[in-house]
Amino acid sequence: MRQLPDAEPGTPDGRSATHYLVWLVRRFRSTVFPAIGLAILWMLCQAVVPAIVGKAIDAAVRHDGDGLFTWSMVLLAVGAGQAYFGVARHRFAVVNFLGAMFVTVQVTVRQAGRLGSALSRRIDTGEVVAIGTADIRAVGAALDITARGTGSLIAVVVVTVILLTTSVPLGLVVLVGVPVLMAVVGLLIKPLHHRQQLTREQQGRLTARAADLVGGLRVLRGVGGEAVTAERYRAESQALRSAGVRTAGVESLLEAAQVLLPGIFLVLVTWLGARFALGGHITVGQLVSFYAYAAFLVAPLRQLTEALDKLTRGHVASRRVVGLLDAVTDLPDPSSPRPADQLAGDLADPQSGVVVRCGEITAIVAAEPADAARIADRLGRYAEGGVSAGVPLDEFALATVRRRVLVADNDARLFTGPLRADLDPGGSGRLPAALHAAAATDIVEALPDGLDSEVAERGRTFSGGQQQRLRLVRALVADPPALILVEPTSAVDAHTEARIADRLATTRPGRTTVICTSSPLVLDRTDRVCYVEAGRVVADGSHHDLLATEPRYARTVLREDQS
Amino acid sequence: MSALLPVASTAEVRRYARDLFRRHPRALGVTVGLHALAAVAGLVGPRLLGELVESIQHGRGVSTVDRLAALIAGFVVLQAVLIRFAYLASARLGERVLAGLREEFVERVLALPLSTVERAGSGDLLTRTTRDVDALSRCVRLAVPETMIAMIVGILVVAAMFAVTPVLALPLLVAVPILVPGTRWYLKRAPEAYLKQNATYSTVTDGLAETVEGARTVDALRRQRQRTERTDTDLHRSYLAERATLFLRTVWFPIVELSWVLPVVATLLVGGALYLRGTVTLGQLTAAVVYAQMLVDPVDRLLSWLDELQVGAASLARLLGVAEGEAEPRAGAVPVPAGTGIEVRGLRFAYVAGREVLHGIDLTLTPGERLAIVGPSGAGKSTLGRLLAGVHQPTAGTITVGGVSLDDLPLDRLRAEVALVSQEHHVFIGTVRDNVAMVRPGAGEHEVRTALAAVNALDWALTLPAGLDTEVGAGGHSLSSAQAQQIALARLVLADPHTLVLDEATSLLDPRAARDLERSLAAVLHGRTVVAIAHRLFSAHDADRVAVVEDGRITELGSHDDLVAANGSYAALWRSWHGERTPAERIPAGGDGERTTAGGDAERTPAGGDAQRITAGGNAEPAIAGADRAD
Repeated sequence: MRQLPDAEPGTPDGRSATHYLVWLVRRFRSTVFPAIGLAILWMLCQAVVPAIVGKAIDAAVRHDGDGLFTWSMVLLAVGAGQAYFGVARHRFAVVNFLGAMFVTVQVTVRQAGRLGSALSRRIDTGEVVAIGTADIRAVGAALDITARGTGSLIAVVVVTVILLTTSVPLGLVVLVGVPVLMAVVGLLIKPLHHRQQLTREQQGRLTARAADLVGGLRVLRGVGGEAVTAERYRAESQALRSAGVRTAGVESLLEAAQVLLPGIFLVLVTWLGARFALGGHITVGQLVSFYAYAAFLVAPLRQLTEALDKLTRGHVASRRVVGLLDAVTDLPDPSSPRPADQLAGDLADPQSGVVVRCGEITAIVAAEPADAARIADRLGRYAEGGVSAGVPLDEFALATVRRRVLVADNDARLFTGPLRADLDPGGSGRLPAALHAAAATDIVEALPDGLDSEVAERGRTFSGGQQQRLRLVRALVADPPALILVEPTSAVDAHTEARIADRLATTRPGRTTVICTSSPLVLDRTDRVCYVEAGRVVADGSHHDLLATEPRYARTVLREDQS
Repeated sequence: MSALLPVASTAEVRRYARDLFRRHPRALGVTVGLHALAAVAGLVGPRLLGELVESIQHGRGVSTVDRLAALIAGFVVLQAVLIRFAYLASARLGERVLAGLREEFVERVLALPLSTVERAGSGDLLTRTTRDVDALSRCVRLAVPETMIAMIVGILVVAAMFAVTPVLALPLLVAVPILVPGTRWYLKRAPEAYLKQNATYSTVTDGLAETVEGARTVDALRRQRQRTERTDTDLHRSYLAERATLFLRTVWFPIVELSWVLPVVATLLVGGALYLRGTVTLGQLTAAVVYAQMLVDPVDRLLSWLDELQVGAASLARLLGVAEGEAEPRAGAVPVPAGTGIEVRGLRFAYVAGREVLHGIDLTLTPGERLAIVGPSGAGKSTLGRLLAGVHQPTAGTITVGGVSLDDLPLDRLRAEVALVSQEHHVFIGTVRDNVAMVRPGAGEHEVRTALAAVNALDWALTLPAGLDTEVGAGGHSLSSAQAQQIALARLVLADPHTLVLDEATSLLDPRAARDLERSLAAVLHGRTVVAIAHRLFSAHDADRVAVVEDGRITELGSHDDLVAANGSYAALWRSWHGERTPAERIPAGGDGERTTAGGDAERTPAGGDAQRITAGGNAEPAIAGADRAD
């Protein structure tokens, strides 16, 4: 079995969903085509079984013992062949399925990396996440079905030929009848899918309610309300039950139709065949095999329907992938970016008037905290407007700016995996100092495996304050020339905040640090404070000077209720 | 990291499954009967086909052929009709059983002692509530009826062969020696291998989701290379798991396919030989061969659903396991508290044996008083509050209300005595009204509005898109954490117990709003005993008495003025709030409405039940369930 995933997925053809699927087929042609070949052989083995059984019975009717034995052995050989081709086909098909799925994941992750902060602005994040859940399977299944789909098509053709050479009128009946049958059953499936969808949604709601109930269990334990909650759950559960029964109503009709339609059709074929046999047009053995073929054809035709369905779903899923591939960043690199060494000197945001001096700790206090976040975005080139030594930041390559300026905010995501890998992926050696500076040493000490402990999704098992300190550690380990911290201590208690403020002041000597905060304790440890109102700097100076001279500033930072 | 909830044993699962169907004997009988009749109707066709073949062979007339064909058609119609009703009957039964199962499970969850949940972590419980219930649904909806039908049809096909010619049923057995051991081999290994495989996909999916959702972080920290490497490693793990299951199928699939053709070959050979000798007729031979081929479908169905059945049984075991280890309902008469005074004597508590958090607390709450509990991080304040509310049971010592131990009161009775609101705010799926009224079934519109008004929440609640009928909670209109906290307090007002424990219950409101709320709440709660755990000292200032908890003990207890005069640690704290701002003692700049954890000194509220870890952590901040990030 081919090793997967490949080191590089290659450049996908993102012109359209169809192009993407074709690209995948081409990319995995070394397994797609063998799978198709094997599927054809596998299907053919199944297709000839009725003919062989017919031959064997004919031999019996002729009292030809040797013939009976020979045809039985042929049947055995064909059965063995079917088993072999079947599993060989399956092995290739699995590679196709996995290959397409894996490449799609790789392509998605790489594109997400390329888009970076622009991703959420350019495309619905939920849509992209959905690629990772359902779509990759749909794309994989589309590639997987190419083999069985082709095999089924060939089988249908071969059986048709066999039937037509045996008896043209009877063959025509089968040839026309079976697709008509499939179409009728297909028509019935539509309302069923609709019903099933409704039931699934209902099931989803019920699951959400159960999850909600588990999530709120502590609250319930505090004030009660278990009875009402249980009652509500029961009501929705009963609603789901009714929906399930209604769906089963449609489903049962379909089940009945799937027996009735082919059954009646088989009777028709047999009856006609019997009359032909009576007339001596066909043999008894041929009659039996006609019966068997008409019954057999249902299987490959079902697979063909399945193939159509899977290809359609794969196409829909690929559309989403292509949508992601199509997305382009709204922070493009300039056509001829300035060299990285020109990115030096004071950072500034002319729009607000904030100037960040090199090597200093600058605080930004905004009456509206969102203003500070917007300024941070401009200084870090997450939005247009920042300058460095008078040169607009968008004249540099984005990567250059990212290397020099790190904006660390509270939306930053903690990644799953060992804690060490998230905090210090490069093994920089700065981790102990950063843990100390962020007063996070105790968090690590309390973990069962210290820095090797696994981080849960979004760092959920850490409290809000712990998450915040770990984010700070990560930013300090990254050690960029300019670090912009947005509300780095908003969720930690006063004692810890005091410690962090003290240590931050000394942990980055000679480096540029910007802190957006309104905590007097942190402000007290900064070199200079810019006070922003309505998006503009209205005063700047040291914390103590501003406290003394700017009453609006004093009100903003000392806003506790003084009674 | 945490002990998972128990899992029921195989024997228990079997017993439960049996009991489940025994509860609905009639429905089960009808379902099985209808499926059996449908299968019989389906078997008549091939039998008649055999006759048809014979009638041709013997040169009987067209009328015989027509008559037989019409008869076969009749049976097809009958079979279809029977299948329709059989299907419906089994779906009705399945849905009924399923609804009963999940409702029973949820009731058990709701009755679980909180300490059990916290020990196991809510993650495990959540998985059982969502994934296992879903898996079981799939099993009951599809796997159970499909295997049942397959078994009925299979048995009837074999029976039909016996009916045609018993001797021609024997060749069927040739498949048994390879099919049975092969399938056993496969089933022994398959469930675990597939579970492992699915787990690798969750990792892939989660990894992709966090790369996409954290795209800005990846960008900011320049982690693109790490993310691609991580993805490729995850994918490789999936590949290895897939390869393992593929190996199982590579062995098993050919066995299954061979076991389809072998019986047909054997029937042809044996039947053919017998026909040549004149022991069986051509019709019998034809029918036997057709029956042998007909056996493929039920056997195939049966085999393909076996692993789903296994998955379903495993899920059922996990669902049933939740009830295990649960304390038996207390027998005997429910004691009635005499009075509303709460007494704490020699209270000790440890989340983990050997790591005591509270070391002997004595406290008497006078009905109607307001007691503020203050103290540094990790001192045990929240733990004390939870014990006072009966959420945890003391490791040693007693807590009594009106002379009755809190442990002896059933849950609903307990809530009429003491209620707890923590900083943890959870808004349930439902309307604003539902969210408040849930604590008192049958509460009228006026009472809900009064409760909301008492926590200064009525004004904003009425401006929501649909007023009090606005859907909130997951998937609904989102409320700010401050609003969620107000809802939690409104619930408490409506529940109206005589003793309330408020653990940082207003910490998410900005300080001015918090103080307004506390004052308006105080008016409503007049006459109630209130224990308020607070980091904002105005709460302590407004209280009748203040208890300072340090290192698991009450170190100071008395009125605000007494404690200030006593010049102990409370006095120092008080001065640091109102005196000069020295960094080490400073109070948090607090509540600009943005911080979800205005944290101060609340010691702990484990988010994922990781009690040990967080307690050990000492000054961990409070975790807010439902809020994933700091802001």
